Amino acid sequence: MSKDVLIIGGGIAGMQASLDLADQDIKVHLVERLTSIGGKMAQLDKTFPTNDCAM
Amino acid sequence: MAYSEVEEVKGEAGNFAVKVRKKARYVEEDKCIGCGLCAAKCPTLVPDEYNMGMGKRKAIYKYFAQGIPSVFTIDPLYCRTFQGKKCGICKKVCEAKAINYEQKDRVVDLNVGAIVLAIGYEIFDPSVIELYGYKRIPNVITSLEFERLLSATGPTAGHLERPSDMAMRDEIKGLERRIAGLKGTIKTFEERYGKSTGEFYRQYKAGELGEEKDYKEWAKAHEIIPEVGKKLEELKSKEPTFHTAKSIAFVQCTGSRDLRFNSWCCTYGCMHSVKEAICAREHEPEMQSTIFYMDLRAHGKGFEEYCVRGAREYGIQLVRARVAEITKGEDSKPLVWYEDRVTKKVEKRPFDLVVLATACVPSKGIEKLSKMMGFKLNEAGFVKTDPASHMDTMDTSVKGIFVCGCAQGPMDIPDSVAQASAAASRAAEVIKQYG
Repeated sequence: MSKDVLIIGGGIAGMQASLDLADQDIKVHLVERLTSIGGKMAQLDKTFPTNDCAM
Repeated sequence: MAYSEVEEVKGEAGNFAVKVRKKARYVEEDKCIGCGLCAAKCPTLVPDEYNMGMGKRKAIYKYFAQGIPSVFTIDPLYCRTFQGKKCGICKKVCEAKAINYEQKDRVVDLNVGAIVLAIGYEIFDPSVIELYGYKRIPNVITSLEFERLLSATGPTAGHLERPSDMAMRDEIKGLERRIAGLKGTIKTFEERYGKSTGEFYRQYKAGELGEEKDYKEWAKAHEIIPEVGKKLEELKSKEPTFHTAKSIAFVQCTGSRDLRFNSWCCTYGCMHSVKEAICAREHEPEMQSTIFYMDLRAHGKGFEEYCVRGAREYGIQLVRARVAEITKGEDSKPLVWYEDRVTKKVEKRPFDLVVLATACVPSKGIEKLSKMMGFKLNEAGFVKTDPASHMDTMDTSVKGIFVCGCAQGPMDIPDSVAQASAAASRAAEVIKQYG
């Protein structure tokens, strides 16, 4: 039995899930295919409907 | 674990045995301080994936400047050392001694109680829609490519240059480099043989010098320069016509809600285009954006108001029409063909830039993962969820494996974040149940 969680994908969803679990003191292994986490959202300039910076 | 892929998953909820391949970066993660000296000195230029192939990165690179983990990676497909050429510059300049050409992939064994799939989506490749001419007609780009053009960290530092002008400018630079190279060759030979090129060429043509390799090369360089120069002048004469984009067409539902390609709605395309049109106007006060849409689906909190504001304050013209075809026009301005529903006539309009609001399709690795882990996919190819028969919308068909975000279907950022929290809490429940 293990108390760890594996998260596949380091985009906005994967990062949010990781943070939520880590906040509950659960050990998370976040696996990302590319060399940096961030996913598609890191490629965006701004987000709707508030025009906040995506990064 | 960035730059890693899941290779094998066995076991069941509460006890999964997972093998993860950690790919070799050829840079020691614990030593690299991310200073970027290696990339500054690296001689190899590679198309930048982060900027959708517009702009260049080096063979040793960071995916983007703020990327985490803040360490560099060598791309062995392009790195001179891995291509069997003499180089090793990055190793020489690295003060942290982090470069390790001998590094190997590592397989890490993990034991986990639950798994969350957050594998995202892929952007539909619109080049399969012949009539839209993506990749064939200059200045027809996808919405993510446009996003990079808009971005201050993008290839144009946020200036809305047209890709056709960017390509021509690159070509001019290439030709200038070529001429400089040829001139360098000629100078070397002039020094080596102690005579001017004019004198050499006369003697060579008169057959006084023979056919030695050096002579051949020298003569060829001398002959080519005027040709390359002429081409360069031709391109340079077009430079005054280069201009930033002042009119943009957004073509909605490119590959979405279309039974030939993907039947589903991408859910964020309408808002994404409105946002891009608003941002474009902020960059260029004279910007005229036109959005060709089927219905404007503004279904979230504050979305409708955002669209109205876009139309009123940012001059976005909303045209209800399905674009039939995009063709080449004068001055690299694509022509958009559509039916005007007011005049009931087929119209064509030129734009500086045409942005295709591309569909959201399942990510490439999803089938492989589904076979490896046993979870089912739906008809569209996204991860199947069944809220009707399950307790929770985040459950996949395998107990202990959960899904969130665009892995289970198209959605925008707030929805992805909400689902991620939901999937995380479901995973935590499993951990508490079994652990």
